[in-house]
Amino acid sequence: MISLTINEKEVTLDKPVTVLEAAKQAGIKIPTLCHHDLLKPWSGCRLCVVEVERMPRLQTACTLMAADGMVIKTESEAISNVRRGILEFLLINHPLDCPYCDKAGECELQDLVNKYGPTVGRYKEEKRKVPESHKDQIIARNTERCVMCTRCVRMCNDVQGASAISIIGRGNHSRMEPFSSESFDCEYCGNCLTVCPVGAILSRLYIHSFRPWQVDKEVGTICSYCGVGCSLVVQVRDDSIKRVIPKLGFGLNKGLLCSRGRFGYEYVNSPDRLKTPLVRKNGKLEESTWSEALSIIADKLTEIKGTSGGSAIAGIASPRCSNEDNYVLQKFMRVTCGSNNIDSLSRTGFAAAQKYFEDLLGQGITANIIDGIKNSEVVLVIGGDPTAVNPILGLSIREAARRGASIIVLGHAKGLEKFKTVQVVPPLFKEAEVLEALLVELFRAKGVRAELPFIDKEMRELSEKAAEKMDLPGFDELMKALLNSASTSIVLGMDLIQRTNGHRSLFGVAGITYLLEARLYLLSERPNEQGLIDAGCVPDMLPGGRPMNIPDFKSKFEAAWNGPIPDDDGLTLFEIIEGIKNRNIKALYVMGENPVFNLPGGPFLKDIFGNLDLLVVQDIFLTETAEIADVVLPALGWAEKSGTYTNLERRIQLQKQAVKTSRGMEDWRILSEISGRMGQKMGYLETDDIMREMAKVSPLYADLTYDEIGKGDCLWPYHGKPLRGEMNEVPPVVDAEKDYKADFYLAPEKLLFHSGTLSRKSPALMKICPEPTLKMSAASAGKLGLKEGDRVQFSTTAGSSEAPVSIDESIKDNRVFLSNNFQGSGVMDLLSFSIDEVTKAFGIEGCEVEIKKHGIKA
Amino acid sequence: MTEEVKETINRLIGRFPKKESALLPVLTLLQKRKGYISENDLKDISGILDVPEARIFSTASFYTMLRLKPAGKYHIQVCTNVVCALLGSDAIFDYLSKKLNIHEGEITPDGLFSIVAVECLASCGNAPAMQINMEYHENLDTGKVDEIIDSIKRREVGG
Repeated sequence: MISLTINEKEVTLDKPVTVLEAAKQAGIKIPTLCHHDLLKPWSGCRLCVVEVERMPRLQTACTLMAADGMVIKTESEAISNVRRGILEFLLINHPLDCPYCDKAGECELQDLVNKYGPTVGRYKEEKRKVPESHKDQIIARNTERCVMCTRCVRMCNDVQGASAISIIGRGNHSRMEPFSSESFDCEYCGNCLTVCPVGAILSRLYIHSFRPWQVDKEVGTICSYCGVGCSLVVQVRDDSIKRVIPKLGFGLNKGLLCSRGRFGYEYVNSPDRLKTPLVRKNGKLEESTWSEALSIIADKLTEIKGTSGGSAIAGIASPRCSNEDNYVLQKFMRVTCGSNNIDSLSRTGFAAAQKYFEDLLGQGITANIIDGIKNSEVVLVIGGDPTAVNPILGLSIREAARRGASIIVLGHAKGLEKFKTVQVVPPLFKEAEVLEALLVELFRAKGVRAELPFIDKEMRELSEKAAEKMDLPGFDELMKALLNSASTSIVLGMDLIQRTNGHRSLFGVAGITYLLEARLYLLSERPNEQGLIDAGCVPDMLPGGRPMNIPDFKSKFEAAWNGPIPDDDGLTLFEIIEGIKNRNIKALYVMGENPVFNLPGGPFLKDIFGNLDLLVVQDIFLTETAEIADVVLPALGWAEKSGTYTNLERRIQLQKQAVKTSRGMEDWRILSEISGRMGQKMGYLETDDIMREMAKVSPLYADLTYDEIGKGDCLWPYHGKPLRGEMNEVPPVVDAEKDYKADFYLAPEKLLFHSGTLSRKSPALMKICPEPTLKMSAASAGKLGLKEGDRVQFSTTAGSSEAPVSIDESIKDNRVFLSNNFQGSGVMDLLSFSIDEVTKAFGIEGCEVEIKKHGIKA
Repeated sequence: MTEEVKETINRLIGRFPKKESALLPVLTLLQKRKGYISENDLKDISGILDVPEARIFSTASFYTMLRLKPAGKYHIQVCTNVVCALLGSDAIFDYLSKKLNIHEGEITPDGLFSIVAVECLASCGNAPAMQINMEYHENLDTGKVDEIIDSIKRREVGG
């Protein structure tokens, strides 16, 4: 116990902290400028100086550790004199353009000068002149205002790990600059904006559009982009979103944001938003009224249910919609329509892997706190770049690297290039074999764990079958790191799941997780992939992950929902598509999803969706799927509605309404309206009613309330009751030995600056990353005689497209990568696929592609 | 960057416990070899030393003795600090500028000369002073400047 006196107040501390922190705990504010809670102490600005008894000079509170018996004064005439002096020096070069500067009103320098500063400056010479930089389209840089606190540089180096900016020059001439000196060549996280105390770094998204004191509402909510679910604050004026800022010290991101979360919010105000329901008349989508559109849907669904039975109806849920929306959708499908055919595009990755792991290892196996990655000794990254898919999770891996963890990349991950310890590059599409070999070696070294005998048995069989140890560069190092690790985190991306032998890789990962008692993280591209599973938007499980085939569960839900649930096992995503092809499925209800663009084989899907008697799409934009629908219903977007979201670590969080709009209706309200018209009243007035019902019927959400969720730490298993694993044997591996001898293979890439088709409506993200590129290794480019920026045409058996080449040093094999975000040039349309027998996800490996330079005839 | 330079850099790295510590010696080495450090050099060093480019740029731009732009074969640094200024360094600088027909920081079209004004060269006892590459020239006046420049020109044209 340390006790000290600050301003004649007794302060006792549980653990050693700096004087600054001790004062903060005692409610005493010491002024700072270069200090920031997200950064390490630096003691550059000297404003936090305090008097310490028996110490000869003033001391900087941010670096001085509090010691027992210290007597400290934080305000005195001598201290004020020093602070005034420092501020006078800072003002020598500061332009004092406050009336014009956007920071005025929330500027730390302004506040400090107001409190301590000189009213008049004595400096008579010319001020330093650095013209404002207009080169960058997103970040406004006005270095004249900079006070050299270096917070931005330290943020960029020490936290974000991008190292894109630095202080250049010396003395009076020094200034902050991105290395590229024109526009920023960085990850556009904008965290430098968060920490800049003055108006030197600002966002062009809101510059000159409002004053901080004109904000009339601040709403703490969560981000709408990926499965991490960062907390942020939406600032609103006159019912329009002015800007998005982080909420310091709150939520799992603690004030850090990525490019999508910080700059991507403008899509909600896109002029392309759907405003009224559209109904297809004479082959064309025409504007309609809500009552007409809803009646058409209700009548048609009733008719199909009557003639062909409920099983002719299918629904696709949305990982962008809330738990409440998805819960209502599955209830609508099951009870109102009488069909268990409810699935989502998460089947193609997250949901498929999650089900496999939970069946084997028990519910909640992927529910691990992201923050825990930092404390791992080894982080094994497989099948994706976490810093692009889930950037804030990626930052935890970088932090782990700084703390000395071994970062092992199996495959490639561009964002971890500077942080990885070992990179193991498996032979093309042979990751499953490498994981299996790894598992076998680990099993040989560690032996049985004897908790889940069927897994031990499977591993023993594998190790008896396995031949020699795998000879692959880095493999031994990887083995050694894993064997010596007391705490391992495994981060798994979608690349390995979207394979025909995906389940084989998944068993490898499950086995390693089991043997090492590792923390398992599944990357999740969309904000509510976990939530839609928990809400019951999977064909074989009811809310709370309760298996449909256990009569007890089913009858309980039937009683609660006041209607029968069909007995059959519903169809998974690709079975639904098969059903549409065979005309067994006659109506498809799509909520907030774009299967035509997001699934491989788009043209084929477009074709067979023509078989449907009714295709309803509920979305905020006229997506590729909405364009071919019979009825399109405008939904509400992020910040326009409230609801809960469950992130990849299974934290339930509240997304709150910030602005009102008349553009559309909440997804659940639309469904409940249709349900009412079909004779099954749902009776929800607000989202609270749905949550209350979910808390009553779903064993996972037991007793949950919005109040509790709103606090930000609503973590697994809440008050719920997790289920143990479902399986007692490992599903057999179906994997045909294939050779991959083509020159190049096409594969999907996940971009840091984009997310699905939503980000194309964000002007800022489109400025940062305006067009798709074909990424390839330097070796591949060399083989083709291409250099960065060359336009190429490329074609597969499914189609062709063109894009400029971008060389990516982190790629080590002959795959070329294209994203699936831009209109008319999605990679999915070019991929052929097959289905993984076990996980029911699609496999898109081995898609041969021919590449030639633009304009050259073959 | 040639293999030979890379080898020398690796030798330099071997002298330090941390790769990053070799940064200044490496920058000095590169400057010695071609008179300045190019943007490509920064990129290459970043790869070799595992230090972000931005940090290397920051370091290189901090030291006035490290140049990020090409200089003449004879890089003239004229001291303009207090004692030299009192003894007419401004006139010397202007004279040089006119004689070579270049402004501060520029290079003569033949690539021979470049001039910059610098702070104290620690030659106050023999002010005004200038430094051409590694050589000092002290107690300057316009006549002496003529003599120095002309002799260099003679040597270069003759050679």
